[in-house]
Amino acid sequence: MSTQTSTLISRIEIRDLVKRFHHQPVLNHLSLTINDGDFCVLVGDNGAGKTTLLRILAGLVRPNHGVVTICGSDPISEHPLRRSIGYVGHHPMFYQDLTALENLMHYARLYQVGNIPRTIAEAIQAVGLTTYDQQPVRTLSRGMQQRLSLARALIHQPSILLFDEPYTGLDQAAAVFLDDTLRGLHTPGRTILLAAHRPQRLLSIASHVAWLKDGVIHRHLPVDRLGEAPELGRYLQEVA
Amino acid sequence: MKPIVRYLAAIWHILRKDIQVEWRGRQGIPVMLVFALTIVFLFNFALQLSPDLQAGLAAGLLWVSLAFASTLGLNRGINLERENNAMDGLLLAPMDRSAIFFGKALGNFCFTGLVGLVLLPVFSLFYPQNMLRLPLVLVMLLGLGAYTSLGTLLSALSIQARTRDILLPVLLYPLALPILIAAVEASRGVLAGQTLSNVSSWIYLLLAGILLFNAAGLIFFETILEE
Repeated sequence: MSTQTSTLISRIEIRDLVKRFHHQPVLNHLSLTINDGDFCVLVGDNGAGKTTLLRILAGLVRPNHGVVTICGSDPISEHPLRRSIGYVGHHPMFYQDLTALENLMHYARLYQVGNIPRTIAEAIQAVGLTTYDQQPVRTLSRGMQQRLSLARALIHQPSILLFDEPYTGLDQAAAVFLDDTLRGLHTPGRTILLAAHRPQRLLSIASHVAWLKDGVIHRHLPVDRLGEAPELGRYLQEVA
Repeated sequence: MKPIVRYLAAIWHILRKDIQVEWRGRQGIPVMLVFALTIVFLFNFALQLSPDLQAGLAAGLLWVSLAFASTLGLNRGINLERENNAMDGLLLAPMDRSAIFFGKALGNFCFTGLVGLVLLPVFSLFYPQNMLRLPLVLVMLLGLGAYTSLGTLLSALSIQARTRDILLPVLLYPLALPILIAAVEASRGVLAGQTLSNVSSWIYLLLAGILLFNAAGLIFFETILEE
């Protein structure tokens, strides 16, 4: 199945998306297309709906209306498609009493990853946690848990990556590590959507910026054409 | 790998993870055991009944202990998935989400079954009956199978509720009443020396409960977890 999804174009298409919580629209007829290989930074105020949008794309939340397709399929109903999605959310999604290694093993089994011991060893090494892999997750710092989350999201080599405020709570060293990792992940055939409240540091890494405002995508354009949208430029300076 | 094998493998991986977490944390089974044993001791010393009356009450007390202790285990099982949004990790996995229900229900069943198996010999010490009988073990496992299936489904319902800790017992006890009555009646019959065929109507009710609640889990679990 992984070969089937990986041969599809890693494109995210959202059309006329509506999501309401308690009758209050958070996303209001939102449309957005993120092309194969794009690294799009999703910006917007707190409560603008960035998390909701990412959770819908990850198949964790069902929209009230609209069409969402990832690699041409619906991420909620087509569960094999979820193999091509990697999601890093606000919470690390780990079991506190299990070690870093055991947690990754659990996720690797769920994703039916091949050669699990080797894959996990490589993933843990890639995020620089080899010396901590036998420690229970509850003993790891926020930055380390974030790195481990990254390993979890990448363990099945997804072609679509969704990040929700991944810099929150990270110190400078961990943030620089994340910058480097994101730079390395931005490769042809991999599409990245990253929600950030303060996106300034990402503008040198990302290819596009999408501005979520009033439940719709207000502007969506390449980073090198930000000059065409002075309103967005001012917003980015305000939140920097 | 065939889809059914993948599905069964997913259930096994979730069950295995629950066993692993319990083994590392030891926060579920010991708490359930202490709670259940406390109920057994308390009732034994509080009621001071004659041996005849004690024999009649044994089945009811066994199920009171099991039901209350199981509820603690069910809460623990779902809290485990709520901490750090671990449930999201399961929902993101490329599998039919009903596998999460069956994995969690099996885990709850194994843990409460283990508590029940420890409880039976303890009951034999306090009550003038040998509780370690195969038919009674069978009835207990059937009753717990139905009870934990329903409990797993309802605990998923309470995962997003603010009053989740009280919501589960409030929903579970009334809905589980037919199952608990059938389990008590079947246990009482077995303890009175009847064969399983003599209490077959209660056994069928327990089997129907297992089928019904697992079918409900298969169909509704994903919807219940949706935001």
